[in-house]
Amino acid sequence: MSEQKTDGTGYNQISESDVQELITLLGEKYVLFRDREELEPYSHDEIPGTDYRAMPDVVVRPGTAEEISAIVKLANRRRIPITPRGAGSGLSGGAVPVCGGIVLGTDRLNRILDFDPANMMITVEPGVITNEINDYVKASGLFYAGYPMSLETCFIGGNVAENAGGGKAVKYGVTSRYVLGLEVVTPTGELVTLGGKLVKDVTGYNMVPLFVGSEGTLGIFTKIILKLVPRPRFQVDLLCLFPTGEAAIAAVAKLPTISGVQPTSIEYIDRLAFNEACRYLNESLTCGDCGAMLLVTLDGFDRDRLTEDYDAAGAFCQAAGATEVYVADSAATSERLWRLRRAIPEAFSLRYPTQSGEDVVVPPASIPRVIREFSAIAERYGICIPCYGHAGDGNVHARICAGPEWDHATWKQQLPVILRELYAVVRDCGGRISGEHGIGHKRIHYMSCVVSEEYLDLLRTIKQALDPNGIMNPGKVIPPRNGDAR
Amino acid sequence: MKIVVLIKQVPEPGSVQIDEVTGTVQRREADAVVNPIDLHALESALRLANVYNGMTYVFSMGPKSADFAVREALAMGIDSAFLLSDRAFAGSDTYATSTILAAAIRAIVPDFDVILCGERASDGDTGQVGPEVAAALGIPVVTWVSRINSWHNGTLELCHRLEGGQEEVSVTGPALLTVNKEVGVPRLPTLTGKRRARSADVPVLTRQSLNLSLEETGQKGSPTSIVKIFRPQWLRRGVMCHVTGGESLASAVNQLVDHLEEKELI
Repeated sequence: MSEQKTDGTGYNQISESDVQELITLLGEKYVLFRDREELEPYSHDEIPGTDYRAMPDVVVRPGTAEEISAIVKLANRRRIPITPRGAGSGLSGGAVPVCGGIVLGTDRLNRILDFDPANMMITVEPGVITNEINDYVKASGLFYAGYPMSLETCFIGGNVAENAGGGKAVKYGVTSRYVLGLEVVTPTGELVTLGGKLVKDVTGYNMVPLFVGSEGTLGIFTKIILKLVPRPRFQVDLLCLFPTGEAAIAAVAKLPTISGVQPTSIEYIDRLAFNEACRYLNESLTCGDCGAMLLVTLDGFDRDRLTEDYDAAGAFCQAAGATEVYVADSAATSERLWRLRRAIPEAFSLRYPTQSGEDVVVPPASIPRVIREFSAIAERYGICIPCYGHAGDGNVHARICAGPEWDHATWKQQLPVILRELYAVVRDCGGRISGEHGIGHKRIHYMSCVVSEEYLDLLRTIKQALDPNGIMNPGKVIPPRNGDAR
Repeated sequence: MKIVVLIKQVPEPGSVQIDEVTGTVQRREADAVVNPIDLHALESALRLANVYNGMTYVFSMGPKSADFAVREALAMGIDSAFLLSDRAFAGSDTYATSTILAAAIRAIVPDFDVILCGERASDGDTGQVGPEVAAALGIPVVTWVSRINSWHNGTLELCHRLEGGQEEVSVTGPALLTVNKEVGVPRLPTLTGKRRARSADVPVLTRQSLNLSLEETGQKGSPTSIVKIFRPQWLRRGVMCHVTGGESLASAVNQLVDHLEEKELI
């Protein structure tokens, strides 16, 4: 470890005295350095492969907001990059320290601080596992409506940083709808409270939404106030089998308008994705000769009303060409279907080790066009791009899988070309390159495919104002000016 | 082939709370489900019916709210469903329950070929009702059936689990089989099946319609009763073997071996 050495990025490398200062702050137990085996788990998130990895110099695991503030003040004073990290379940490289420096793990800030049923709110620390919030409040009849697909492992702090979407966004919206207040350590180390236990608040700029989805580039959350809603007593899932992907996807946008019901989610799963997930889970469900399917979820407080609703939604799907509609109306059968849906990414990762998971979002009615044009691109390059995801809210996960004969060099050369073609389709539909996974460093050089330079300048102005030394999660979200090199 | 399936409504796993003071079970109607292993029995019945052009019948004893359980069976594809419900049935133990179920089967499907049921219910966890129904009807029973190979000239070829393995057996019907999860993964009900189930006629069989006396049902017909319900205490008496250096490692390994030998685990 060298002293006061400045590398080409304008950041200082971490020195022995910096490490000593961190140890003095946190104790030896919570400062990891030198041992590559200990540091390695902090060099990646859940993007398959090794292309998006980078090693930290030091990992710190603070236990209080004050400790985080002191660490950030040190990093800011010394111009050392600092990368906040939740559970590491991200898919955009957002928690990867691309400029080295300090990774700040939030796993020790894992307390539920205050459950306030009278106001239907809960205050938590960022390292709380999202699923645990619902376990905690279940007896009250309330629930937190965010439903990221990695709910058993992800942290609420990561969800807020990425503005996570997930499976229930069609009805309940995304994370930002439920974040009422934040306590944040800014990039200069100040502890600031934004919003609060308030349903309405126009006291100054609306700062909470700016920080939600900022991917750890504007600060580190230390407290999060969430809105809870009454938990529906009943849920029904319909698995609707369609003869072709086109027929399934064409039904998505029309389902709510024609059937007259508001689904909680509408997930699109093509045949390949379904079979891979079944194989991965050793699940015996079969889809016969169907080309694709929709997983439609409805929930409510009245069983009879819900029965009417799922009847109407199912009848619509049958009229739209569904050859069979299966009904799951117990927690066990519902979980059986959703487990399959959640397993798709992991199943694909095992089957196709060289691949890129995309997360495009378009106006929901444009989904059929996107699927059609992605399929044409796949055919042109002799590859497969299976699609699945939250079709009901316009968010499609497309997995670009390397051609069977491609070596790594061919993949590295072809992927940017294919991505530009996919993103051009998305741009023409009025869409964006990420609906919920985030930009991170994986997509940073593709921002200009869908947004203007003026928009990027606005982001740069905000970033510069809050983080003048550029230490907070550098190399993420905002590309450098004229840095679109790929 | 006539196939009878016995199913039970149980609280959804994880939804039950036990009041430690009164010893009562607190449950909500919203959380009731078909006993999970019974779904495998239903699946087996449907597969047999498909292969041998059979007719399927489901029986369930319980309160009126158990109607949903037999309708779930109808939604999966079962042909006929019967609910055994009467205030006089309340408080029945496994013996009285078996008496009532056997009476219903005699009354409705006296010429049955096979009766299927889950190997035990997730709430009572006794595994007694299946064999007791077989005893009441005077027919053979095979428990823990994991595969049904064939049915030919009234004889069933089966595989069932034993504690140390499995056994291929032949049984001449009519017979009762209790099945485990390996016998077949339950299918999901279809929308068409659900609609059919909702509009289906589900006859309710009572004590009088089954010609049972008051002495045969409920608490009077039950030689056993629940004295107390409690949550068992799990005691873990672990032994910590501390290792700090080479010598203590050998000592710790010896301690571990001694401990395992003492417990007759090695």
